[in-house]
Amino acid sequence: MSSPTSPLTAAIALLPEDEIVPGSSALALTGITRTFPGVTALADVGLDVRAGEVHALVGENGAGKSTLMAVASGALAPDIGEVVIGGRRLTSASPDEARGLGLAIVRQDPALLPDLTVAENLAIGVGQTRRGGLKRAPRWAQEHLDPWQMGIDARSRVSDLSVEQRFVVEIAKALALKPRVLVLDEPTEHLNNDEVQRLFRRVRELTAAQAAVVYISHRIPEVKEIADRITVLRDGRVRGTFEADDVSESQIIELVVGRALDTVFPPKSAEAGSLREEERLAVRGLSGRHFHDISLSVKSGEIIGIAGVQGNGQEELIRALAGIEPATGAMEIGGRPVKLGSHVAAAKAGAVYVPSDRHGEGVFLPLTVGENIVMKTLRRVSRGGIISDRAIEEVSREQIARQAIKTPSDRTAISSLSGGNQQKVVLARTLLAEPRVLLAEEPTQGVDAGARVDIYTILRGAADDGAAVVILSSDGVELEGLCDRVVIMSRGHIVAELEGDAVTEAEIARAALTSTTMRTREDATPRASRLRSWLRGDHSPAAVLGLVALLLAAFVGLNNPAYFSPFSLGNILFAASMLIFIGSAQQVVVMGSGFDLSVGPLLSLLVVIASFHVVEGGSILVGLVLMVIAALAVGFVNGFLITRFSLNPIVVTLAIALGLQGTLFLIRSTPGGIITSDVTSVIFTKIGFVPVITLVAIAVALGLEWALRRTRWGVELRAVGSRRDAALRLGINANRVTLVSYVVTSLLVMPTAVILMSQIGIGDGRPGLSFTLSSVTVLVLAGASIFGGRGSFIGIIVAAILVAQILGVPTFLGLSGAWGYWLPGVITVGAAVLYAQLRRIRKS
Amino acid sequence: MSTVDMKMDPRWKRLLSGGSGAIWIATIALFAASPLVASGSLSEAAVLGMLPFAAVLAIAAIGQTLVVQQRGLDLSVPGMLAFGAALVSGLPQWYGWAPELAIAAAIVLPAIAGLINGVIITRFGVMPLVVTLGMNVILLGTVFAISSGTPAGSPAVLAQFAKGKLGLVPNAVIVAVVVIGVAGFIAHRSIVGRRLTAIGVSERAATALGIRVTLYQTMAYALAGAAYGVASILYTGYVTTPPLFFGDSYLLPTVAAVVLGGTALTGGRAALVSTGVAALFLTQLGQLLRAVGWPEPLQLVAQASVLLAVVLLRELVPSIARAVAERRRLAVAS
Repeated sequence: MSSPTSPLTAAIALLPEDEIVPGSSALALTGITRTFPGVTALADVGLDVRAGEVHALVGENGAGKSTLMAVASGALAPDIGEVVIGGRRLTSASPDEARGLGLAIVRQDPALLPDLTVAENLAIGVGQTRRGGLKRAPRWAQEHLDPWQMGIDARSRVSDLSVEQRFVVEIAKALALKPRVLVLDEPTEHLNNDEVQRLFRRVRELTAAQAAVVYISHRIPEVKEIADRITVLRDGRVRGTFEADDVSESQIIELVVGRALDTVFPPKSAEAGSLREEERLAVRGLSGRHFHDISLSVKSGEIIGIAGVQGNGQEELIRALAGIEPATGAMEIGGRPVKLGSHVAAAKAGAVYVPSDRHGEGVFLPLTVGENIVMKTLRRVSRGGIISDRAIEEVSREQIARQAIKTPSDRTAISSLSGGNQQKVVLARTLLAEPRVLLAEEPTQGVDAGARVDIYTILRGAADDGAAVVILSSDGVELEGLCDRVVIMSRGHIVAELEGDAVTEAEIARAALTSTTMRTREDATPRASRLRSWLRGDHSPAAVLGLVALLLAAFVGLNNPAYFSPFSLGNILFAASMLIFIGSAQQVVVMGSGFDLSVGPLLSLLVVIASFHVVEGGSILVGLVLMVIAALAVGFVNGFLITRFSLNPIVVTLAIALGLQGTLFLIRSTPGGIITSDVTSVIFTKIGFVPVITLVAIAVALGLEWALRRTRWGVELRAVGSRRDAALRLGINANRVTLVSYVVTSLLVMPTAVILMSQIGIGDGRPGLSFTLSSVTVLVLAGASIFGGRGSFIGIIVAAILVAQILGVPTFLGLSGAWGYWLPGVITVGAAVLYAQLRRIRKS
Repeated sequence: MSTVDMKMDPRWKRLLSGGSGAIWIATIALFAASPLVASGSLSEAAVLGMLPFAAVLAIAAIGQTLVVQQRGLDLSVPGMLAFGAALVSGLPQWYGWAPELAIAAAIVLPAIAGLINGVIITRFGVMPLVVTLGMNVILLGTVFAISSGTPAGSPAVLAQFAKGKLGLVPNAVIVAVVVIGVAGFIAHRSIVGRRLTAIGVSERAATALGIRVTLYQTMAYALAGAAYGVASILYTGYVTTPPLFFGDSYLLPTVAAVVLGGTALTGGRAALVSTGVAALFLTQLGQLLRAVGWPEPLQLVAQASVLLAVVLLRELVPSIARAVAERRRLAVAS
């Protein structure tokens, strides 16, 4: 988005509403095929969405709905096939282009930037990040949010919003684009009835204005209510498109499921008589994040399902049972109490957890199938702590055969297996551990139909072997076919329990959905008091640091009155000027989630370069120009290597740092070259006891602070630092933003070098080297989030003054030279620990 | 990413993109080329002079590998090495400790410093970079305090051992081989090693399995500290009076050795033995450049370039292979 007018607002401006012919094709997908290794996600799919209609897309998890919409929105390239939006062909898989053609998508996982405000998110979403746009953004955003009556303050940070509120922000953002085609992916998961009705009103307004809406949902009643036409997708193929009035709910469900239930599932415990008397898992009064006062009892041999609309505490509950989430209350396994909130204790007691996030939590992707199978039961394949590869091979080959895992060998990397086979490896590992309690979260998510059957058999087999099995699933058919008993959760409580013949998909859905209608919303985040919201803001560390600085000054001053002399204060402020520049330099890259270890050596190099030209009889101008060129070059090389080849910024800047260090000692191995007094006298100018250069440094930092909040550069930098993937989805050129951040950082080292060379007066490369640490100390003290996206340059100013003050302390108190090292080290680590704790407290 | 593994010739892929075989070949090639570049660079005196430094770097790099395996990067290497050296030389000289006690202290105290790193990183969730950077200066300050600013000399026993040879092999090399051997055995063959690998690959997956993630990670940092201690003891014994802050020149080489050895900076499998070989490679490279007459600062530039080149190669080869595989996949699809 480099042009002054954002391409998408421009494109939309070109599409006056009266140009759209009612009933004309708004979105046409033809012959879309897309394969992933081992899976055909979409096979020759065609979809035609007309202007002015709500077109529902229904299907099970993994049926290909989201993949299809990823193709439509330019996020994913099809292998074969064509996407036409509003009569114009999508020429490349580019979200930007799709948006330019008038397609807006609201995904289940909103593309929001957690560290930015709601208003900034909306502004970026519609491409209004130029200066005026950002200034007006809060009011404009508030106007878009108020109709939803969700109590969302446009000035609050997205990370402080509840899940429902975030979703509404995402919808508001899409609507603000005035799209020609709006795709809503499971939009009502997080909304209560009133909110759903408000959404439907907005959808009808849109279609009345001849926009098209693609509505993805698995809630059939809702689909019947809102949709004009319905397309059913199953296993990557279209199973038909119908007028909504022509089909009944049960007909739709039949098409969606497409299989006879009883052939797929193994017999339940009641039929097989495999239910034992023993109460294996007992939970009383369990409370935690998003669930309250849960009591449950599961017998040995029993499979119990946890159902409910997503986000009602089910995930947190099952993770708490596995000891991964903290919880209070009581839990017993086999009659013995288990310590809560400890994954080690839960595992020891025999609880085995099968996570839903298979890639992140389930498997060890780079390791082999064999290693993955035995990882939980290493003792079995070892003697005296020493592992036998032969034993691993034997055990894993047996499991590969028994669980019908399709893999070339046990030494294949698990990453090359299909989702279903990876899940079977996870289950094989689980069974090897002989679980007393098996906790499975969405065990068949993203698994093809064939493997699904195997997985059901495995889970039932575990129960028959005596385990108590708890399954969390969003698939009603699966719960009906597999579970002996199902509990339904809503708002963190168990609201219903179904048993025996009552365990049917319809009953589960009814219980989940009727309870949802009871769901009332207490204003999720009550507007925080002014003090609290200030404490959560970027500027609070600055005030705290200022207070610490004053206390420290008072303490040192009482011990040595010379501390308050104008001379000494002037010295502190002078040293602070360098720290403000170098700290700001580091802050810029860190804000974009980078890191630069080369600032110190670059500083030294610039000083050395200056010592050849900025001397008596030399050309000051040439010296300064060379310094700028060197800074630009280093920043560019850093940024280029990091962005172009996606290399680790720490390694790149470490290598560059040491390369620079070598270079500068090559240029000047011993100190030399007296810096001309023409420059030093300017740098040393004071007003009263205050060095002018310090005022300049403060002004620059304030300028950066302003730019960070009010310019596109600043917002995009914070966006990339906050969530790179979301920033990319929003059409921000993240690589360019990162590259520029490294260049800006290096440029900010330039003024630091001018001050440092004036201070030491000679071309010496050594003093500058320690400034890498100084920059990090200042940054950490300023309370900047080292993971990017947050921080303030005002904090940098105060932190720099504090650090300058601390560095002077040993001299005034007559402490040994060791304190010159200890103080910055202890303060850096101490502040990092303190802020990490604060962040944790803020979160909970 | 998955199809690549199967379609590309596995030997080439492993060699270029992450496996540890490449460094063996590179090292052999370097030694073969050495006499051609500078005659005498492979003479007995030259090799025997180089090996103890390779041993020191290898042991220190083992420590760095353990940290990198846990997705960290240890910037406290300079401080740790200086700390160990100050303990083993300063304690006997300034405080009259027995050499054996000083040697023990020079292993145990850096290990404790590593333990503190680990606890702060795992318990308090602070970024490893910040903690180790801070720990580095704290240790340098401690070195300053122990020595009052003056380097001390190695105890005579230690110097004798470190300069000694068993037959033709310098004792330092034997120590390095034993350290690498034990570390490599633990990493590849023991339950502890496999769990460390698992945690390095995915903390979350390891947590889901009930592995004591924080305990193992903390242990990795402590073991790294102990390795730095051993390296500093050998160095002190060999050079007799090490400069106070000699460790500064070891930070980049340890990282370079890890990367060259094939351990990914994203954590996971640790190629400890290859790290040792890479240390030998880097030391011989330095020796060779010195023999050709390159000044010391240029060595830094050379090391930095080698590191960047290898990191680049490891990134480029798989992505080119991915592109080839994607093209093939599309060809099959249409």
